[in-house]
Order: sequence, then structure tokens, then C-alpha cells
Amino acid sequence: MIINTRLFNEVTVDEDKTIVFDCGIIGFPELQRFVLIHDEEKSDGGIRWLQSVEEPQFALPVIDPLAVKPDYNPQVEDEMLKRLGKFEEDDLLVLTTITVPSDITKMTINLKAPLVINSTTRKACQIIVEDYEIKFPIYEILKKNKKEGE
Amino acid sequence: MLALSRKKNEAIVINNNVEITVLEVKGEQVKLGISAPKEVPVYRKEVYVQIQEANKAANDISGLEALKGLL
Repeated sequence: MIINTRLFNEVTVDEDKTIVFDCGIIGFPELQRFVLIHDEEKSDGGIRWLQSVEEPQFALPVIDPLAVKPDYNPQVEDEMLKRLGKFEEDDLLVLTTITVPSDITKMTINLKAPLVINSTTRKACQIIVEDYEIKFPIYEILKKNKKEGE
Repeated sequence: MLALSRKKNEAIVINNNVEITVLEVKGEQVKLGISAPKEVPVYRKEVYVQIQEANKAANDISGLEALKGLL
């Protein structure tokens, strides 16, 4: 299917790659269908985009939290993940949203409300966890990661 | 918004599987008991709104051009 996106204009995606948030994203319960896009041509530091299928203007930059905080290990009740269907440990993809203000040295990721995607059923939810912050700074870490990759 | 008045120990049932009971009323503070299936998340609204604001901020990409420079 072809969807309109804010950043990449028209994008062709497999219908069956659609990720479904039955409960929506927190604060946006009506946005339930998303696709995960990344810019194949550019080096992007592991940043991908969770693009809403229903709303072209809604796309969240996301990143694997372990790429910037390797010891990230939130406690999650198994029951909270029941709505994602059956899964093995390896089926779960955890992503965190990135906030990029105009001063990018202040960019942060939200460790308190990760997105959990079951890669087998394509069902996902955003959960709120304890003991982590909503604004975890990552600018310095991304800079360091980039340097080490060179 | 539906407004219902409840006295202490009275309850509300939502959607056939969520029950909210007024446990205690002490001055300005109301203690609520919530019974819901474990997979139904229940949040204090302040926390919910914080995450909603964070999601809104993540969707705001004013820093995107500068970010491309970093990467």
C-alpha cells in the first residue's frame, strides 16, 4: 500500500508490515496503525521513524534504547504484554521515542514510556515503567557512538 | 463527560470489566479502588499527560535538520 508521510512523501509498504497499537499511542488513542521506516541511503545513527498510516503528519523518531543505554532493563508485568499476543523473548522489539528540540544538544529519549512491538503478531503498545526518566539525554552518547563507528 | 455522584463504598462499573469504588473520603482527598483485568493499564492522569506531552514533543521535529548534521 502507498501511504503519505511527512518526511518521505509517498512510501510503499507491505500491508502485512503494519504495526497495530490496539490502544493507540498514549495520548493519541485514535492512532493505531503504524509502519517503521528508515532512510536507507543515509547514515542515521540507528534512528528510525514510526510513521502513522492514518495521519501523515504524525511520525515519531525512535531508537533502540540499548544503543544508548545498554543497561536499560525496565520491570514489566507479563500481563501488560498479554494484549500483544504470544511471543518468545526474542520476538519483542523495544523502541523509545526521541525528542529533538531545535537545540539538538538537548535531545532526549523517553525511557519511561517505551514502545513494545511483537514482531510475530505485529501488535504493539506503549507502556509506562517505573524508575526511568522521560527525558534521558543522548546527544553526547550519539556523538560518541558516531566517533567510535568511524 | 459523564458526571455521577457516589458516596463512600459506592462504585461504578465501566465496560463490563472495570470497577471503580470510592473507598474513603477524607476532606479534599478521595481514595478510589480500581478493579480491572491486569492487562488494562491504569494511570494517574498527571503521568498520562506527561507521556502524552512527551509523545507530542517527539512528533515535533524542529531540530531535524540540525540532527542530520550530527549523523
